[in-house]
Amino acid sequence: MSLTSPPKVSQPPQAPTTSPIKQTKRRRPGDLAANLAAVVVVIIAMFPVYWMINTSFQRGVDIQSDTPNFLPWNATLGNYRKAFEQGDFLSALRNSLTVTLITVVVAIVFALLAAVAVSRFRFRGRTTFIVAVLVVQMIPAEAMVISLFKVLDGWQLVNTVLGLTLVYLVVVLPFTIWTLRGFVAGVPLELEEAAMVDGCSRFQAFTKVTFPLMAPGLVATGTFAFIQAWNEFTFALVLMNKPANQTLPVWLQTFNEGAKGTDWGGVMAGSTLMAIPVIVFFMIVQGRMTEGLVAGAVKG
Amino acid sequence: MSTLPPLAPPQAEKPAAGQGPKKPAGLKALPYALLLPASLVLILVLGYPFGRLFVLSMQKFGLKQQFGAPPDWIGLDNYTGIFQDSQFWVVLARTIGFCAAAVVLTMVLGMLVALLTRRVGRVLRMALIVSLLFAWAMPPLSATVVWQWLFDTRYGLVNWLLSQFGGDFHGHSWLSNPWSFFGVALIIVVWMGIPFVAFTLYAGLTQVPGEVLEAAELDGAGAAQRFRYVILPFLRPVILILTALSVLWDLRVFTQFYVLQKAGGIARDTNVLGVYAYRLAFGENKFDVGAAVAVVMLLITLLFTVFYLRQITRQEEL
Amino acid sequence: MKIRALAAVGLATALALSACGGGSDSDDAGSEGEAQTGTIRLWLNGEDTPQELVDYAKAEFEKANPGSTLEFERQQWTGIVEKLTTSLSSSDSPDVVELGNTQAQAFEAAGALLDITDQKEALGGDDLVQSLVESGTYDGKFYGVPYYGGARVVFYRKDLMEKSKLEIPTSTEEFVAAGVKLKQDNASESDFSGIYYPGKYWYAALPFIWDEGGDIAVKEGESWVGKLSSPESIAGLTTVKKIMDEASGAPKDADEAKDYLDFCKGKVGMLMGPGWKLGQIINEEDGCPELEKQIGAFALPGKTAGSTAPAFLGGSNLAVSAKSEHPQLATSLLKILAGDGYQTKLADLGLLPVKKTLLSEVSGDEAAVAQAKAAENTRFTPASENWAGIEAGSVLPDMLVAIAQGKDVAAEAKTADEAIAAALNQ
Repeated sequence: MSLTSPPKVSQPPQAPTTSPIKQTKRRRPGDLAANLAAVVVVIIAMFPVYWMINTSFQRGVDIQSDTPNFLPWNATLGNYRKAFEQGDFLSALRNSLTVTLITVVVAIVFALLAAVAVSRFRFRGRTTFIVAVLVVQMIPAEAMVISLFKVLDGWQLVNTVLGLTLVYLVVVLPFTIWTLRGFVAGVPLELEEAAMVDGCSRFQAFTKVTFPLMAPGLVATGTFAFIQAWNEFTFALVLMNKPANQTLPVWLQTFNEGAKGTDWGGVMAGSTLMAIPVIVFFMIVQGRMTEGLVAGAVKG
Repeated sequence: MSTLPPLAPPQAEKPAAGQGPKKPAGLKALPYALLLPASLVLILVLGYPFGRLFVLSMQKFGLKQQFGAPPDWIGLDNYTGIFQDSQFWVVLARTIGFCAAAVVLTMVLGMLVALLTRRVGRVLRMALIVSLLFAWAMPPLSATVVWQWLFDTRYGLVNWLLSQFGGDFHGHSWLSNPWSFFGVALIIVVWMGIPFVAFTLYAGLTQVPGEVLEAAELDGAGAAQRFRYVILPFLRPVILILTALSVLWDLRVFTQFYVLQKAGGIARDTNVLGVYAYRLAFGENKFDVGAAVAVVMLLITLLFTVFYLRQITRQEEL
Repeated sequence: MKIRALAAVGLATALALSACGGGSDSDDAGSEGEAQTGTIRLWLNGEDTPQELVDYAKAEFEKANPGSTLEFERQQWTGIVEKLTTSLSSSDSPDVVELGNTQAQAFEAAGALLDITDQKEALGGDDLVQSLVESGTYDGKFYGVPYYGGARVVFYRKDLMEKSKLEIPTSTEEFVAAGVKLKQDNASESDFSGIYYPGKYWYAALPFIWDEGGDIAVKEGESWVGKLSSPESIAGLTTVKKIMDEASGAPKDADEAKDYLDFCKGKVGMLMGPGWKLGQIINEEDGCPELEKQIGAFALPGKTAGSTAPAFLGGSNLAVSAKSEHPQLATSLLKILAGDGYQTKLADLGLLPVKKTLLSEVSGDEAAVAQAKAAENTRFTPASENWAGIEAGSVLPDMLVAIAQGKDVAAEAKTADEAIAAALNQ
């Protein structure tokens, strides 16, 4: 019964990715139930998405019909044409991509450094930092609009990519630090040490051994950071007050003008367009990672 | 199960290995250097404005002060003002109730989905991950609009479906009764919250060493025990942070309620803290009281997490 | 397209542009009377002002102020209060902004806007529509020049009225009776409304209250007193309740934004809406252009036969930021936007011009004429800088929904009065 010293060390450190993958696909009595449950989850998760896409291809009159149209029988690209014409979609897309990508890259780098520090070293102030990062997340960001605007205005950062990026960084950093910390810690130090015995430098040991093993964590946190920055509305609204600097969530609101009611077709087409880059981002990140989420190998 | 002592979670790595007298002096500064970029950004862009927010919560600060009038120092008046507002307590109780329900549902369902994702075959796993991603990628505005629309009195799919199955739901307003209003809001919030939780938990699950699970299984541990004694301790830090985040998000939930209140029902019966604080800040231009509410919300979330913090500090998991 | 060109320059340049802000080209020249040059940033909200009007204003402005340029930025109504609250106080403030007329007073009271009392005569003076001047005035000083107005009128289906042998109603009583009759005669159509009245539609309740002599709130001495539970207001609210109960088939807790959908499905005899509602009803996309010939419009009649009920005047004001670096240029722009040339073009779009002389010249379709008639007798929400809080608190819609759901009118009015007094007396 040696569960307390997990058999992780037994693994050859040189080739963590080729570890014997434990089969999760062994036939078990609950499999049918599990598969059924999975199908139900997929349906529930996808239904509003399907409804969004379905609606985006429908004509206005069909969207409001008394009996729902489950498929766009009279399909039209009108909503998409409108999406491209109303406001400036391309400029908003460019702004959103710039801010979001910078946020994701910087957040991951900063968070990774911090995560390594707190999970691989023991030093004075370590606990304070960890607790502080946890607490910092509790500050309701929306309440800060006024004071944050004042501060950024003082630094001449209103209407700049840098200003908005800084705000998004502090929104996503605490979570990314905490999550990556868990993932760094999840890779046993013994693996790195074994690699160092084999002649790797400490840095090499980290990049060659720990980093690949953290892939799912990086995908998850990167996606988190991407989606947070991508969909954020309030700060983008006040900090980027010139239409030319507008980001996509603010642009999307042009279809939701108060008195005239929501332009459903327009919102749905705009939202569908907005969702595409997220999916693309995920595919790229996922593809880059050797051991991704979908492979879902159980490492040992 | 004395044969299955709680597995020491991965965080309990031997810290001594990275430290000690044998280490060169330069390495001592290394962790601080690693922390520097993140700390700097957090302090400048979050800490400093928060300090201002805190000061603001003890001033008289409305639209006039926003446009240059000197603010008066009024100490804790904004706080006592909130606590004396009977509406605040009602809204607070309602918010906490809603938040608790939403967080529990999100976490439990999220965990089940994550376990399910690990359990099923490659094709279904792919389908699950992709559909979760799609749901997650859907902009909050459109997600809320679609859901609101599914429950629409006149053209809603839900009423149509229920009527097809023989119910008399023609023209039924789901939002006019506060309870069913909260039900609809709960569905939307949980639906929007699950992908992120499930995704992150699943990423965490992929790190649980298979050998440990196998050994546990050989020792006769059932699925529930393996979950309790092996998986849960491994996921603990992730669960902690996800719960904290969910509490935070659900405590200040705004968009969903704002859209639903516009669509139907009576707003004063369905207000939650997020809407209440927004109304104070930008509806009534009481930025001071809005700031005080934010500080109170911060304290409440802290109370929620103190329990966890205590636990992990005691176990020296940090 | 200015916006597109700007964006194409790239974000780095945009950053640089914003850093030099509202044109610090030649501020030092600005001694009295001497012409300044510079760049003026104009914010207009929503899609009400089409691009051609903006181009017209730009050309006029640059003609009147050689060497200066007008930079137009189209903003959205959604989130405009947040934007104004932050931007107007920033170091890079827009120069001329549009404010909804129920939002304007808060910013005037706060000192966010430039006092233009001395320009009032030049901007139109007594010829300006009174209720819009009220929203642009705070504490005796004039800050916001009226931009455009909109009054609600009644749109109706001519064919259905004819089928039920009804004439255009000339009094409140006839109006309600016509609604009830239409609903009875079309009972075979599910959810049919003689008068479409969704519960949250508070703008439409005001004329009935005002016409009976009631009001939302009145200032007595130094403090505001809610007046919805006064006998006059209750009488008005009771009429509203009768419409909800007997003439309407609209959802009891919905708002009016999508009323045209029911109208187009043939489920509505009459509905109350702003002038642009006609355009929404007959829009190609999800409206019913084929019904155009069957749609008529009239001003809501009052209690006494032949009168019109006081209408709520919606609309917006234009104001100069107190932080504007070029106040003279900004006021020169105001003169163009409130000028006859520009206002005539606005009127062609179905919006109400802000000058009485132009109002009497409004001709064209029935809706425009009805709107101009309704505009002769308009009222406004209580002139308080704290009014926005009542809207944000959803006080009036909550009261009306409760009434629609069958709660006691007097009790609900009293609850609303308390909330109103609490919000206004701060």
